[in-house]
Amino acid sequence: MKQKDKLQELLHAWEETYKKGQLTFWIFLSLQQESRYVDEIKQFVEEQSAQTMTCEEQSLYRVLRKFEHVGVLSFENRKGNKGPERKYYFLTPLGKELFQQFVKRNIQLFYNPHIKNLINIPSS
Amino acid sequence: MKLITPFLLRYIIAATFLTVLFRFFLSYFLKVDDSLAVLLVAAGYGLSMFFSGFYFGKKDGTYLPIYDIGFRFHLATFVVHNVVSALWLLSGNASAKESINQLLVSAGIWGVFLLIHFIVYLRLRKHSIDDLDKSDLFE
Repeated sequence: MKQKDKLQELLHAWEETYKKGQLTFWIFLSLQQESRYVDEIKQFVEEQSAQTMTCEEQSLYRVLRKFEHVGVLSFENRKGNKGPERKYYFLTPLGKELFQQFVKRNIQLFYNPHIKNLINIPSS
Repeated sequence: MKLITPFLLRYIIAATFLTVLFRFFLSYFLKVDDSLAVLLVAAGYGLSMFFSGFYFGKKDGTYLPIYDIGFRFHLATFVVHNVVSALWLLSGNASAKESINQLLVSAGIWGVFLLIHFIVYLRLRKHSIDDLDKSDLFE
């Protein structure tokens, strides 16, 4: 296997594992400031993650149902601009607290100058 | 916490329908003393209940993966079968060979297995949050 092909394969394998669980982060992020319906969440996740995260509508519904069941999300039925009523999802106080704690413990770490330096990403 | 999901409700409706059919044909064939037909009706009922439970259970897991190792469906089957059967027997439509005592004995034996299932379910609940598997929740 060529070195370049191997690198791509390794990268895909790592990303596949890394992305598991990432969808939760992006969903919470999409609902951090406003309530959204499924299509809007999907669009947000795909656009803001620069297409690195993609999600099927059905699996998104399934995830949202699970989060609603454990009480981190809720929804209200609202009429969209066109068409029928839609479920607008929003974070509950428990969901907001959960997201804040998660970000504090797992994301803010990457803002540490030492870690930033180690990652060595050229600043844009 | 919502443990009565749409697919569990659909299963309850299907199970009720199948149990009414079972009681009707069982009583009929017992009255006419057709042993082979009784056997076929019982086997048909068992299989159709199993497959409807399997079908709706699978759909239910896709809808919301409640981590109950099938306990809700087992409990629903127990309640539907025994309530429909008791109502059938008390309504006077049953054959002379069927009695409420037989039903109580079978419910008692089944109840022991249901209790064991419940205990296992309670033990496994430690691995869940609001009945959803912790390891699967944020996947």
